[in-house]
Amino acid sequence: MMEPDLVVPTMEAIRRWAGVSVPNAAARQGLADMKGMIAEIEAVRAAMVFEDEPSSFEAALAALKEAP
Amino acid sequence: MNAPVSSDLTQLSMTESADAFARGDVTAEALVKASLARIDAHDGKVNSVIRLDRDAALEAAAAQDKARAAGKPLGKLAGAPMMHKDMYYRAGKVSTCGSKIRRDFVAPTTATVLERLDAAGAIDMGTLNMAEFAQNPTGHNAHHGDCHNPWNLAYCTGGSSSGSGAGVAARFFTAALGSDTGGSIRLPATICGVTGIKGTQTRVSRAGVMPLSFSADNVGPLTRTARDAARFMAVIAGHDPKDPTSSREPVPDYEAALTGDIKGKRVVVLETTFLDGADEPVAAAFEESMKVLAAQGAVVTRITAPEIMRAVNAYTAVVSRVEGATIHGNWMRGRSEDYAIHLSARLFGGYAIPGHYYVEALSRRGPLLRRFVAEVMGSADLVATPTLKTRVPTLAETDIDADAANWERFMAVSYNTRPFNYLGLPTVSIPCGFDDRGLPIGLQLAGRPYAEGTVLQAADAYQRVTDWHLRSPAL
Repeated sequence: MMEPDLVVPTMEAIRRWAGVSVPNAAARQGLADMKGMIAEIEAVRAAMVFEDEPSSFEAALAALKEAP
Repeated sequence: MNAPVSSDLTQLSMTESADAFARGDVTAEALVKASLARIDAHDGKVNSVIRLDRDAALEAAAAQDKARAAGKPLGKLAGAPMMHKDMYYRAGKVSTCGSKIRRDFVAPTTATVLERLDAAGAIDMGTLNMAEFAQNPTGHNAHHGDCHNPWNLAYCTGGSSSGSGAGVAARFFTAALGSDTGGSIRLPATICGVTGIKGTQTRVSRAGVMPLSFSADNVGPLTRTARDAARFMAVIAGHDPKDPTSSREPVPDYEAALTGDIKGKRVVVLETTFLDGADEPVAAAFEESMKVLAAQGAVVTRITAPEIMRAVNAYTAVVSRVEGATIHGNWMRGRSEDYAIHLSARLFGGYAIPGHYYVEALSRRGPLLRRFVAEVMGSADLVATPTLKTRVPTLAETDIDADAANWERFMAVSYNTRPFNYLGLPTVSIPCGFDDRGLPIGLQLAGRPYAEGTVLQAADAYQRVTDWHLRSPAL
């Protein structure tokens, strides 16, 4: 199977930005699978609006707790 | 009148052990010696132990016996032998975190949860095998050896708290700390046939605990019964000044709430997503468990899983991968060859995820939790799913370092558990049957935020009328 276009530039970006070199073939294969993550985020992003107001996960936990 | 204490002390649960000790029916020394003997006899096959602190355990037991003889007040867990996943720091002791990289790491501090267990009189006998840096759902470990399922040694234990699940199931000790970032308590619990709970996010202090993903890490117990888990959680939960992220919500007496009465509790089954493609024995055991809860007066309803589950799953992956990669940055720069292949590969991918994905994933966590509770739990107290959709896989068929073709089966293991970490909800796994190969099946119950008591109440009620949790493997 042909390697997706994103693999080589992503490896290079990681090396430049994080200083980490690709450790093995499995890691390179894993980058190819990133196409799936990108597609998923694009799909769910379309279904949700980014909120203008700050939102807090901890506040949601407190607000939604079980009634005594 | 109390029942006579079993002649085989390793068959006593954590609460049975502590209660027998408190009554004077058994010494802590006898409990610890029975545990040590069982480990000596059988752990060569299971490989659940990393370090056995034999002398320290016997000294701690002697101290508890002396305290009881002197009439001093006893802790709630006094005399109960335990071991813990090798990622809970104890000052001066090595904590390998299941890795080669930390094989000689001497912890500079003691985890708050260990201090709380010590104060409650629990006997810490040493440390347990785990997935390398708690980063896989099967329990494979290239550095310390794979942990084996005591029900059938060819099968995986679930991970990452592999030794915790296997050791509790094998009756090596009464309880163990695990940790859960995507299912790492609940998976070994279901796969080894024991009880495991992760609390609401931030319910238990993480001070002195190896981090994996700050946003999703949870500390919790694996035990034989829901009653054990209730008592254990009451000891370790609650705010800790050393962990400013820990919750300030008061901790109720979970055990006192175990009345067996679940009449009117509303249980919702998510018919899609969590049951799609479930293996037949798993689906059958799950449906039977719903009948049991209904027969006890719970009101079981069924809905389609909400559309937001897709977003929950996508964002879960982003958060854990970015945080994991960041935590491991120095080692990935300097010694990536010292990780197992699958782990360095996974960590490497985390650096590819852009910052705005991460911020997006965190910023939508609150809104998605609100929607989940509104759409799923608006009229329910509990959500029920199988903990693992498939039958327990073998070690060989989930070994991705040996064969990359095993990737899908490997990732599928945590499919039903991961969402509850992103959502931060308290979730328990309890045994609810066995498959046609004799491996355990688990029922997962999640509650609203801070509803650990309700989750444990339902688990305990179920265990009062079933005996899956009482079965132990022949070793």
